[in-house]
Amino acid sequence: MTTGYHPLVKRLLDGELSLAELPPELRVEGEEALRLVGAADRTPVALSSALEERVMATVRRHAASPGNRAWRWLNTPRDVELRLRVRPWTVWAGALAAAAALALLLGRPAPEPVPGAQARGGTRDSVLVRFVLYAPGARRVAVAGTFNQWDRGAAPLVPAGSGVWTTTLALPVGKHQYAFVVDGARWVADPGAPAVDDGFGRRNSVVAVSALGAHL
Amino acid sequence: MGLEGEATDAEVVRAVLAGDVERYAVLVRRYRDRYARYASRMLGSRDVAEDAVQDALVRAFDRLADCREPDKFAGWLFLILRNRCFAERRRRQRTERSLDSTDEMFAAPDRPDGEYEQVERAHALQQALQHLTPEQREVFVLKHMEGLAYEEIAGVTGATVASLKMRMHRAYDRLRELMKEHL
Amino acid sequence: MRTIGLALPLVLGATLAGSLGAQDVQARLGGRVSPEVQRAVQVIAADAAAHGLPVDPLVQKAIEGAAKGVPGDRVIAAVRALAGRLGESMAAVREAGVAAPGGDVVEGGADALIAGFSGRQVSDLVRVSRPPHDPALTLQVAATLAALGVPTKQAFQLVQGTISAHRSPTDLLGLPGQVQAGVARGATPAQAAAGLARAAGGTPPGRLPDWVPPGQRKPRNPHKP
Repeated sequence: MTTGYHPLVKRLLDGELSLAELPPELRVEGEEALRLVGAADRTPVALSSALEERVMATVRRHAASPGNRAWRWLNTPRDVELRLRVRPWTVWAGALAAAAALALLLGRPAPEPVPGAQARGGTRDSVLVRFVLYAPGARRVAVAGTFNQWDRGAAPLVPAGSGVWTTTLALPVGKHQYAFVVDGARWVADPGAPAVDDGFGRRNSVVAVSALGAHL
Repeated sequence: MGLEGEATDAEVVRAVLAGDVERYAVLVRRYRDRYARYASRMLGSRDVAEDAVQDALVRAFDRLADCREPDKFAGWLFLILRNRCFAERRRRQRTERSLDSTDEMFAAPDRPDGEYEQVERAHALQQALQHLTPEQREVFVLKHMEGLAYEEIAGVTGATVASLKMRMHRAYDRLRELMKEHL
Repeated sequence: MRTIGLALPLVLGATLAGSLGAQDVQARLGGRVSPEVQRAVQVIAADAAAHGLPVDPLVQKAIEGAAKGVPGDRVIAAVRALAGRLGESMAAVREAGVAAPGGDVVEGGADALIAGFSGRQVSDLVRVSRPPHDPALTLQVAATLAALGVPTKQAFQLVQGTISAHRSPTDLLGLPGQVQAGVARGATPAQAAAGLARAAGGTPPGRLPDWVPPGQRKPRNPHKP
């Protein structure tokens, strides 16, 4: 059974004393203790280069999942209805869109679109589409895309509470690209929509709008 | 793109919270290796440490809205990683995995022959550390590998300086016993 | 004389169409992009129109670039690249037997190319789009699946499987939403697509079309050469 270090030697290890300040009979013990502590490997450790991509791949998945428990930035249960993000992709007429989104959140299969339902509020050739972005740090948010000539002032979103921004637009039937503009300068793709390369080093989101029964 | 390296942590955190998920890569790049040594020494394996760092970075993203002071992201991330290391330790104790495997820990191939003893001692210390309690190991790693003062360690761990010193002194004795052949 | 007489109206017709197109492009770009970009895009657009390619996506791309504050030379480069994609798409669609494709088919093909499909896959997607399936829709759905992260080979097989299982165009249009729902439940895009392919009864991903499920194959005598 080895005896422990003398208290003064321990203070030496703690950096409170120097070797010279130790009583002579403790020098040998002090040097041994310093060898022990000196064996600590301070070489920086480098982790594998793939780590970054693995983290970002997971982060992107989390960001794209509406009900994913891991991405709960809203903690209070009352915010469940605000977390409901109507996926702009393939939006059917009016009330069915909200029903489909609610069903998605609750885990039930979405209802089949009823033939003959009319687009609510829009004309035969346009459909209402709701855009939602969770951006608690933003001062203003707008959506710009092929449907409004990428004009960042044309379609502002309004804050709906708890960091959620939203707006509803009547979009003509067809395929559209869009992105959110945060604080007038930052272009952000919709994390929940399909993303395409915009040709300028960023990504746009895609929404295809169709009225019932029509082909694109 | 060249401006990304100049953005402060707080700016990047705000950008990510505003919806720019891809900017999080800046923080990943910045911190991926900073706590690698701490995690490796705490967990005794670089591979296990890599998993812990990866999980911590993802968890930090998931909880980013909880980061009250975005300019203190580094410390906040460290706490997440620390919790993860302690949780890993508890998990491994439950599954009774061997704590002696310290694989790929040392970048010592370039040392001249005369320092073989030193390399051996370093390896022995690393193994011995795994036989300390996690709290003892942590105070040793933070003080003698990461170079923190007792006051700083107190700030990170929430323990008092007095109790930290007590832990450390017990650790010194335990290490002396475990390493007696190498000293 | 007569030849010239016949030729002249054609040439005039082409020029007229070209100049109408040019005016239209000018009207849409004016005030939204720099004069330098406008000049360059007009040239690219005129060339595209002469080859029967849709001009609208080029104009849109230029307006987008200007709105995003992208430097003029990068905007021009992007518009030129897009025109190239439209040209490749046109070739691929023609290869599939469609002599005079509409603008939406060519655009759909370009979207598919940008999303990572090869020209060959674009041709194949057009080929499998028998009525009532519109090749423009098939290409659009395929491109969107790829944009969601489904590997192109799998996206192709999912689309093909859905069509050959005699599903409706509505079902085809619903595929991206279903993949997204699968991702929301925790699957990767590839896994979600694989699940859908099995459900559609189409060719399981990764297998050859003539794959026979185990148990239905006649046992082969291992000793026969």
